[in-house]
Amino acid sequence: MSAYCSWSKAAFLIFIFHFCFRPSYEMNEVQACTFCGGSSLNGSEVGQFCTLSAGRISGRCCWTHDNTSERERIIGLDLSNCSLTCVDDLKGVSTAVMIDLSMNPIVNMSDTAFQGFSDLNYVILPHDIACPGGNASWEKVAFKEETRVCEGQKSMCNQTGQLSMTCPENSLCAPYGPGFYQCSCAGNYRGYKCLREGEFPAVQVFSGLAAATVVISIILWVTQRRKAKSL
Amino acid sequence: MPPSCRGCLSQYTHHHLVVFLLTFFSYVLLHASRKTFSNVKVSISAQWTPSFQNDSAVAFSPNETWENNRLFANENEATLFLGVLDSIFLFSYAVGLYLSGVIGDRVNLRYVLCVGLCGSAVVEFVFGTVTEWLHIYNVYVYCVLWVLNGLLQSAVWPSVVAVMGNWFGKAGRGFIFGLWSACASVGNILGAFLASSMLKYGYEYAFLVTSVVQFAGGVVVFFGLLTSPKEVGLDVESGTGLNPVETDTGSYRPLMSDEEDEEVHVYCRQQQDEQEPEEVQVEPPQAVSFLQAFCLPGVLPYSLAYACLKLVNYSFFFWLPFYLSNNYKWKEAEADRLSVWYDVGGIIGATVQGLISDLMGKRAPVLALSLALAMGALVGYSRSPNDQVINAVLLATTGFFIGGPSGMISSAISADLGRQEAVRGSQEALATVTGIVDGTGSIGAAAGQYLVSLIESNLGWMSVFYFFIVMTGGSIMFISPLLLKELRSMWSERRALQRQL
Repeated sequence: MSAYCSWSKAAFLIFIFHFCFRPSYEMNEVQACTFCGGSSLNGSEVGQFCTLSAGRISGRCCWTHDNTSERERIIGLDLSNCSLTCVDDLKGVSTAVMIDLSMNPIVNMSDTAFQGFSDLNYVILPHDIACPGGNASWEKVAFKEETRVCEGQKSMCNQTGQLSMTCPENSLCAPYGPGFYQCSCAGNYRGYKCLREGEFPAVQVFSGLAAATVVISIILWVTQRRKAKSL
Repeated sequence: MPPSCRGCLSQYTHHHLVVFLLTFFSYVLLHASRKTFSNVKVSISAQWTPSFQNDSAVAFSPNETWENNRLFANENEATLFLGVLDSIFLFSYAVGLYLSGVIGDRVNLRYVLCVGLCGSAVVEFVFGTVTEWLHIYNVYVYCVLWVLNGLLQSAVWPSVVAVMGNWFGKAGRGFIFGLWSACASVGNILGAFLASSMLKYGYEYAFLVTSVVQFAGGVVVFFGLLTSPKEVGLDVESGTGLNPVETDTGSYRPLMSDEEDEEVHVYCRQQQDEQEPEEVQVEPPQAVSFLQAFCLPGVLPYSLAYACLKLVNYSFFFWLPFYLSNNYKWKEAEADRLSVWYDVGGIIGATVQGLISDLMGKRAPVLALSLALAMGALVGYSRSPNDQVINAVLLATTGFFIGGPSGMISSAISADLGRQEAVRGSQEALATVTGIVDGTGSIGAAAGQYLVSLIESNLGWMSVFYFFIVMTGGSIMFISPLLLKELRSMWSERRALQRQL
């Protein structure tokens, strides 16, 4: 079933819409959770993981409260036995720690499907599908009964024995999903290529300048041009 | 100040001081914003290009931060475009100078100056800040804006020189104008300072601050500038040296001489006589036409000499930091700081040489000697060792001998030419003549930007310096007829003096 690919784009748009216009939206509407029928998480690995981390199961997703904010986020996604043939865009669940895609006739998995999944630590795939980002991106790759398990995401930053990906000036390397890294501006730096630093003190500069202009103009008008005749 | 004029210091009122400062700072602000553009070039070309990667296999992520701006594929193309912008600016500036001088003699100079300052401030704001805020990166938009900027900026120089010429007489003009023509160099230093302190917030803020300061300058000029002593009913003659008494004495004097001493004495006596400023209802003076101004004695040779000299001077302005970081592998910030010494030399050179020319009563011999020494200084500088102190000293020396004559031709001599006796019938030639001299100079400078990059890439930096030396020699050649004339008159004066004794 190739419906998933086109479906996911719509889901992404809906996700964006909610993100922008309804800040207190219910995460339950992420369609990856309701795409497959039933909530068959109970016995699965994702289900066990969810129980351990005191999560709430809704559809195919496992939700948990962030420590810092009120917002709920997805930590687990179980899409096993879902008749998926192609996986190319899983946006909306990028906070997931564990994803199960086993027992799907997947023929095509996009290279960038897991870009941004920096917390992802445990992926269960059909036997013949390679781990996202290649085996080098994972601590351990194991095979269990018709499935491949990719465990322990490696960071692309400061990897020893690997091609070291250094970021340009003023930016720091940060993990960005299996096989991906991103360069985010360090410290106070911001803007394109992280070339800008700090905030422009607009109020001080312009109020000072405006006051000086008015004062000098008035002084000069009074002393110079007040009695001027037009020629 | 020549000794003969010491008694006349009272002729300078607070109006003179304010006019000096206002015109000085008008051009300082203008040149500061020009220098800002030179100094933020690295940041602008970074903004216009995606991050460059050698293998180009993996692009940096996220795209918005590293790859999205693709106006140019790499920094080399961006640098080339920035060079094109420099040339476009200088050419439209040159064309504008020819036009705005003519306009300046016909419209109120204060309005022309304000339009020039505020207009170009707005254009720079759009060029540097608005396009960045709205993320409009378009080659054609940049070109059109920079042509407009050149035209608007060109209104400023002829206006300020004309205003200065209205207020300050020929007596002491060399010294006062020499001091005053430091405005370009002071502007460079201010611009370098502003750019370096604003650059960390982003190049758009460097443009924002310089253009807002320039706009404020335009507003202050509008409310404070008196374009001519006539506006406050001051003695017309006090400033201009257009003394009616002078006309009779002038009839047997050679053109373009600087023997103003008697005229000053006459003036001094005259001012004591008539304390009350007389209400002169003068007919609005007729302005000379562009062609007439071109044919005035001395205008053409000085224009051509200035074209050669401004080529060398502006090549230093545009290329020096690049040369220093390229040739000596010094950091960009160090190179920027070092290049200030050229301007320091120029300020001192223009003032000292202006003073000497006042004392001598002749300008051409001072110019010729300084230019000859400049050729030597260029040879010396091209062989400078890799040492920042020695390089700075040589740079200041070169600035002294090149910036000095350059400041003198563009201000004091332009004012002399526009106020000479040949234009007595039609007085308002000052802005037109200044525009012609500076405009021709700017054409030379514009051509130079292209030639320097061409020579540098094909033959190397040494050939660029030989080119500068040849150009300096060329400007000596163009003023040699005037030099001979002035030397001959000096000689005959001395003979006459000896005969009297």
